[in-house]
Amino acid sequence: MPLLRSGLLPLFALLCLASLLIGARQVAWLDILSLSDDAWLTLTASRLPRLAALVLTGVGLAVCGVVLQQILRNKFVEPATTGGLDAAKLGILVALTAAPGAGTTVRMLFALAFSLGASLLFIAIIRRVRARSTVLVPVIGLMYGGVLGAIAEFYAYQHNILQSMQGWLLGDFSRIVQGNYEILWLVLPVVALTYAYAHRFTMLGMGEGLATSLGLNYRATVLLGLLLVAVTVSATVITAGAIPFVGLVIPNLVALRHGDHLGRTLPVVALGGASLLLFCDILGRLVAYPYEVPIGLTAGGVGGLLFLGLIVWRRR
Amino acid sequence: MTRKLLWAGVGAGLAALALTYVLLFSGLDFNYVIPKRLVRLGAMLIGGICIAWSAIAFQTLTNNRILTPAVMGYEAVYLLAQSLLVLVLGTQSLVLLGAGGNFALSVALMLVYSWLLHRWLFQDGHSNVYSLLLVGLVLTLVMGTFTQFVQFRTSPGEFSMLLGFTQASFNRAQPAQLLYAGAIVALVCAVGHRTLPTLDVLALGRESAISLGVDYRRAVRLQLVLISTLVAVSTSLLGPTAFMGIFVANTAYALARSMRHHVTLPLGCAIAVAIFIAAQLAVEHVFNYRTTVGILVNLVCGAYFLALVVRHRGAP
Repeated sequence: MPLLRSGLLPLFALLCLASLLIGARQVAWLDILSLSDDAWLTLTASRLPRLAALVLTGVGLAVCGVVLQQILRNKFVEPATTGGLDAAKLGILVALTAAPGAGTTVRMLFALAFSLGASLLFIAIIRRVRARSTVLVPVIGLMYGGVLGAIAEFYAYQHNILQSMQGWLLGDFSRIVQGNYEILWLVLPVVALTYAYAHRFTMLGMGEGLATSLGLNYRATVLLGLLLVAVTVSATVITAGAIPFVGLVIPNLVALRHGDHLGRTLPVVALGGASLLLFCDILGRLVAYPYEVPIGLTAGGVGGLLFLGLIVWRRR
Repeated sequence: MTRKLLWAGVGAGLAALALTYVLLFSGLDFNYVIPKRLVRLGAMLIGGICIAWSAIAFQTLTNNRILTPAVMGYEAVYLLAQSLLVLVLGTQSLVLLGAGGNFALSVALMLVYSWLLHRWLFQDGHSNVYSLLLVGLVLTLVMGTFTQFVQFRTSPGEFSMLLGFTQASFNRAQPAQLLYAGAIVALVCAVGHRTLPTLDVLALGRESAISLGVDYRRAVRLQLVLISTLVAVSTSLLGPTAFMGIFVANTAYALARSMRHHVTLPLGCAIAVAIFIAAQLAVEHVFNYRTTVGILVNLVCGAYFLALVVRHRGAP
């Protein structure tokens, strides 16, 4: 089992523990044993929800990245480099202005619809661009995301919410407490479905012709994959904000070591994503202790540097 | 003869546009409105020249049509340097170094950056353009997150000062600063004008340039110095402009129907200035300040850039 060989499990456990122990509020941990209200409250209302949200987001984003990479047959794509993330932001923005009083579900649906639509459009663009240079696809994706972001900015400025938009769309877990992250549990069925269909997604990576002749319903599988990705992206953007590059670097690093057999590597990818996110979150909590640096920044920095390393490594 | 006519036409068009901008709905208020607009016009003029010149010269050096200094992370370096300066020295940095010292430091940093970029990425001569582009885009993103991170660490007063740096605008420029920038740009243009024939030869590629008797390394070094200076001026004056340079350069090539720099460079400058004036007119009179020039330019030029890459994917 790659999962056991990778040595990720102890690391993951250690990170989880660290995540529970670190925080602005000093908790006397011995009190937990004596069931003190204060320590329990901190643990159950803030620390545990935060841990759950981090793990779910990390798992979801990493799995998303793998699915997108299989669909587009490109190692350098993930929600941030295919416009999916920016489309979700745009969706939330539209929901906020069109239906100000609406709840999380409505916003989530808007984000979902926009993200899915943007992914479909992106795939149409990539199909027209036949030359499948490995780096061209993420280049187009990043610019596509840039244009979507510019539209969002244009729209936000018109409605005078530009400033707040920049703040709350940056990935940040410090607001997560019991009661406002539960939508993230949607990631679990998504991951389960991805695992169940892992073989089909592996086949997608072989290309349309081969996949079809192996008996795969190509279009339906692509659509299912995109839907799963859109659900995860919109759920994470709604609760935590945008976190770039996690879905890109983790699958690449895992593939370097364990290959591309999704049925076997998917657990490693999931755990790797959660570990990276936990690491970035702890980093963000410690760098400016007792204040916090949003995880969007730490993940953007760490993930971006890893991404650059991958590009340079591939060029050799 | 036709060429002279063309230039006369371009000059007249630009002058008419500038006049329209200065006088339209001004009520001929020579005390407040018109001087204000003249300062902005000056900023547009200088900024436009900087952007067009640096973009076209950079494209000649790298021998392609989709890379510009802005995309390759020059502006990000500038912003990062400014943020670090404020973080380390506080607001006194501006007093301590003075506008001139600050500017010299920024140019020096950008020179180091361009030297590194050149050494690392262009050493094999025929690097894949899209690889470079991807590196540039990711590097810009990573530096952006670091800049944001630095801004989080600064105090609110310093933060508000930095925030102004990160958005393109004409309202920032002070008359004194304009004078400064104008003198520097005039100097750069005077030096650059004498190297135009060399630039034409450099466009033929390294081997041809060397065999035609150009001291390649020296010539490239000089051009990099000029480009770094121009980018520093435009970024300090207007803020980041992202994809604008690509749009300007490619429009200039298309309209000039010639690749000689003494045609493309002035035409590019004229186009850049015209775009700025048109965008500012649109912001003031069509959108009624409900959007900004930066957002408009990003939207239009980003979409154009995307289309350009999609169309040119075979032969960059």
